[in-house]
Amino acid sequence: MLEQAVIYLFAALVLSGGLMAAWTRHILYAIIGLGISLFGVAGLFLYLGSPFLAAMQLLIYLGGITVAIVFAMMLSIAMTVTPPERNRAKTVFAAVCTAAFGLGVFQLVRAARFPAVSPAPEEAWSVGAIGHALLTHYNLVFETLSVVLLLAIMGAILIARPQRKAAS
Amino acid sequence: MTLEGYLTLSLMLFCIGVFAVLSQRNLIAVLIGVELMMNAASLNVMAFNRFSVTDPTTGQIFVLIIIGLAAAEVAIFLSIIVNLYRTRRTIDAEQLTELQG
Repeated sequence: MLEQAVIYLFAALVLSGGLMAAWTRHILYAIIGLGISLFGVAGLFLYLGSPFLAAMQLLIYLGGITVAIVFAMMLSIAMTVTPPERNRAKTVFAAVCTAAFGLGVFQLVRAARFPAVSPAPEEAWSVGAIGHALLTHYNLVFETLSVVLLLAIMGAILIARPQRKAAS
Repeated sequence: MTLEGYLTLSLMLFCIGVFAVLSQRNLIAVLIGVELMMNAASLNVMAFNRFSVTDPTTGQIFVLIIIGLAAAEVAIFLSIIVNLYRTRRTIDAEQLTELQG
């Protein structure tokens, strides 16, 4: 009973943070809403059986990505700048598109039937099982992801570096 | 909560992300919308991983890869924003129309 209440609390956090991020025009409020939403998703990961991924979500998303967005905000717009006016036609267009997409996919979710299986035993969910699979069966994916991250860091440095004047 | 409940929740989060991407004018807010959509996708994968898969390792590794790719994408996107602000003095999506046909 209490567990259900906490799950619905996390779901409410996810939705309210997302709505705050999507609707506000102040960029700082949008970042705070994103943080609330990410925290709720981490809590839901906990109840979906994976404490490891909940911790990774908190560390990488809340501790890394959100802070990186705050840095970019400080480098690009002053805090005191008034946000641009909302474009009414664009907002209506976005709402109509979103509603059409959401209703269509909701019909799919309601019509689909998924096979229910009994949950896997406890030891299959351990961090050791994830690490073993990462270094054996999914080793190629693991290495490719590390190369992609390295290339992304190099590309980010190259793009954000001040352009030097062409010498002679 | 059942599998359908989680699917509906992640669909709602994905729709919020789509709305943010389509309606916001600030490029950083557009990036935040993309992040919300990615989180909806990983929530979806984790729900399927819990309720209708026998080996739970695959879905968790899938979500780990989503998180890693999101970090890479954010790094590139933010450096582009910083560069745009340095050269154009604006990150308003409606004033950056050089590529509009």
